[in-house]
Amino acid sequence: MPSDPLRLRDIRNTSTFRLTLLLGLVFAAGVVALLGLIYGLSARELNARSDRILRLEAARLLSVPVAALPDTIRAEIVRSESGLNYFALVSRDGERIAGNIRPVAGAILDRPRDLPAGAGLPGPVRLLAVRASSGETVLIGRDISPVVDLRRRVFEILVASGLGIAPMILIAGIALSIPPLRRVRDLRRASREIAAGDLDARMPILGRGDELDLFAGTVNAMVEEVGRVVAQVKSVTDAIAHDLRTPLTRVRSQLYRARQLPGIDPALAARVEAATGDLDAVLERFAALLRISELEAGSRRAGFGTVLLDPLIAGVCDLYEPLAEERAIALMAGSLPGAVVHGDEKLLFEAISNLVDNAIKFAPAGGRIEIALSRAARETCITIRDDGPGIPVDQRAAVLRRFHRGSDAGDTPGSGLGLSVVAAIMHLHQFALEFDDAGPGLVARIRCPA
Amino acid sequence: MARILVIEDDDATAQEIVTELGGCGHDVAHVGDGADALERAMREPFDVITLDRMLPGIDGLTLVERLRERRILTPVLMISALSDVDDRIAGLRAGGDDYLVKPFASDEMAMRVEVLLRRRRQPAESAILRVGAIEIDLIRREVRVDGDPVRLLHMEFRLLEFLARQRGDVVSRRIIFEQVWGYYFDPGANLINVHIARLRKKLDRPGRPSAIVTVKGEGYRLDAV
Repeated sequence: MPSDPLRLRDIRNTSTFRLTLLLGLVFAAGVVALLGLIYGLSARELNARSDRILRLEAARLLSVPVAALPDTIRAEIVRSESGLNYFALVSRDGERIAGNIRPVAGAILDRPRDLPAGAGLPGPVRLLAVRASSGETVLIGRDISPVVDLRRRVFEILVASGLGIAPMILIAGIALSIPPLRRVRDLRRASREIAAGDLDARMPILGRGDELDLFAGTVNAMVEEVGRVVAQVKSVTDAIAHDLRTPLTRVRSQLYRARQLPGIDPALAARVEAATGDLDAVLERFAALLRISELEAGSRRAGFGTVLLDPLIAGVCDLYEPLAEERAIALMAGSLPGAVVHGDEKLLFEAISNLVDNAIKFAPAGGRIEIALSRAARETCITIRDDGPGIPVDQRAAVLRRFHRGSDAGDTPGSGLGLSVVAAIMHLHQFALEFDDAGPGLVARIRCPA
Repeated sequence: MARILVIEDDDATAQEIVTELGGCGHDVAHVGDGADALERAMREPFDVITLDRMLPGIDGLTLVERLRERRILTPVLMISALSDVDDRIAGLRAGGDDYLVKPFASDEMAMRVEVLLRRRRQPAESAILRVGAIEIDLIRREVRVDGDPVRLLHMEFRLLEFLARQRGDVVSRRIIFEQVWGYYFDPGANLINVHIARLRKKLDRPGRPSAIVTVKGEGYRLDAV
């Protein structure tokens, strides 16, 4: 059986992928929080240091006599060769008396504040305004470019690490999802085989002892037990069918010979004939049971070859057309030139005949039965549609079981083995048999994979 | 009367076959070993051979293959406990002409032997079959009743041809289905009945009994009427 390709959608839906994504997001959030914390603490420390320096400077300047303040400020500017410190003495009416920065709005007395570049400031500055005893305002500023740089760097690092981590999380998610997904796919394939009736199929176990191995082991043990019980029941049924056939055939032969005796009483002859007929019916059922068992053995493929579906369907129609006509049922066959399947022509003919026979049994007089062929990308479908009562959804699986007769069967002739034979033939071919609602009626669909 | 060789190692089954075929008026010889049977079949002419597949000495499949290799074309009815589809195919491919699964009804076995005997007596080159008022032209695929042409569908023609080849003998519905349609499952008695009914409708003439006679519990027979 070809393996299904892995699709991105399948990977996306796996819990491994989702967990990896979630873990990745938690990791990314952790990185952001950590960087944020480092930045926050560093910025606070730098600001605190600046504030201490600013307040020291302010205290020093305020201790200078008011008349000497302009000169002191000029001297401070000259002394601060680094150019990182700013000073200004602003008159009551807002005019700069001395200093290397212009008076700026936004400065609050006694509270250091960050101000951006521009509006008289050469760069980002942390500014402290204090009021001299004479009423002038002294502005003391400190260049905070390093703090702003640090903030920008931290932001850049966050963006870069985010861009780097996101694909890494995706790649990790996909890489971690593929192996378990492959295993689940193998388990699913095995479970499909088991569901299709192959009780010899087993779920693969890798021997790692992981949860999938444990699950597969449990299912395998269950299938083993189901297989054992089914085989036991089947072998008892088959043994009964097989062992009773010979004595029943001998009884039939004796009855047949008795019927041939010259001068046999006509009433007795009629009874012998009736008994022979009943025995024939029993023998036919036993033969059908054994035939199902042979087909279910599943390895008999001597008659397999390329089967042209058009002539096969035409042959079934030719065979059943008089029976349909007798019941005033229109039997129509579609055509699909060149449609072929790999299988046993005689067995497929038998299966389709059985389905058509069933449709004729249950279609109303004056009804209609259509046999259609259709081809999809990877399969060919044979559809038999009637306008009878259909099969209730809850009985669709049961009708394939041996001796099942639907609730609507009533006096309709049949052994209850016909659809079991069809199911066994489908199983041998690995074709799927589905029943659907034709609204009204039944659609029996045989899906033959290419 | 025909000469029939019964090759069967199981005494009870052999006795059943010999009794049934002897009762039909045939001269029946019985051999229980494969090697002896091959030697006898090559030495003496027989009209039909019934052959068990599982034999001591040479098995049934090998035996029929050796007969065909030596150009002995006597019709062979293979009788076997192996009922599997593959076994049937193997039996027919080896050179068997018909296949019957054990346990079998002796009347059905006798019918199958009669079908093989008829096939042997009427070589394929007979261009026209006549049964009473019915005339079947096998070359032109035409049928006439009392000289009047009758239009038959393909399978109706084959059904009539088969019944005509077995004329006077009863053939079961099962044998009809196998020989005319070539399939080996039970299509239900009613299906063959409606095909026969349809054929009768085309062949029967007013004031005359039907040429196709229903033999209750057994099958159908084509009579000259």
